Amino acid sequence: MDIVVKKIIVEVKKGDQQAFGELMDLYKDKVYHIAYRMLGNVHEAQDVAQEAFLRAYTNIDSYDINRKFSTWLFRIATNLAIDRIRKKKPDFHLEDQVAGTEDLTYYSQISSEEELPEDQVVQLEMQEWVQQEIMALPPKYRSAIILKYLEDLSLKEISEILNLPVATVKTRIHRGREALRKRLKHS
Amino acid sequence: MACSKENKVLIHQYLDEDMTLLEKKQFEQHIMTCKDCEQDLKELRKTIALVQSGSHFEAPANFTENVMKQLPKQSKTYKWKH
Repeated sequence: MDIVVKKIIVEVKKGDQQAFGELMDLYKDKVYHIAYRMLGNVHEAQDVAQEAFLRAYTNIDSYDINRKFSTWLFRIATNLAIDRIRKKKPDFHLEDQVAGTEDLTYYSQISSEEELPEDQVVQLEMQEWVQQEIMALPPKYRSAIILKYLEDLSLKEISEILNLPVATVKTRIHRGREALRKRLKHS
Repeated sequence: MACSKENKVLIHQYLDEDMTLLEKKQFEQHIMTCKDCEQDLKELRKTIALVQSGSHFEAPANFTENVMKQLPKQSKTYKWKH
């Protein structure tokens, strides 16, 4: 593992909170991004990402320094996101607007006076639609697809994060890909 | 006409480059003659490209600060060590 990260973690294990801040700065965007893609909602993504770091901090003693830190951290984050999805299941209906899409951030991140060029608008709408289709996947396929195609992780890393055999990860990616193909083919 | 289930599995193995050289050659030959599989492969490639084109979101500006505020109090032993 990266020697710099290792050094920081040694300090965190000793109880240095400043070092934990440095660690967060290295990984916060990735953790937030995974959470956002899993949940499709900025508030929930922020909640889950924060909770993931709090748990990482309180459980840092159980982290084995010889293993990859990001794998351990992403595992905490994906588990929290999946828990969150399960909890909100009862009030979820297929015909509903996809959770969180009404406050989808693409537009709100850009100041309103600014006129967007046409092709940029099309690009944003396209991304919004792809995210909606990712959200429509069952969570077990969703997590595999996100880790593979948005985080660009190897099958082995994904299998460690999701705590599943590589063969199962492959099957989930195949099924997720197939489901997305059917939904996205009329683009 | 829809091709066989076995060939649909092969499309995914092909995309994952999870094949021997011989299997790959055989599958490529199949694609040349099977419109259905060719179409599926094309759509799958497009799907992957679409998913990958998504932008990466950054954590909100005050993210680290918010978490730092919620951390349990720094232990006395640590301060003492310094």
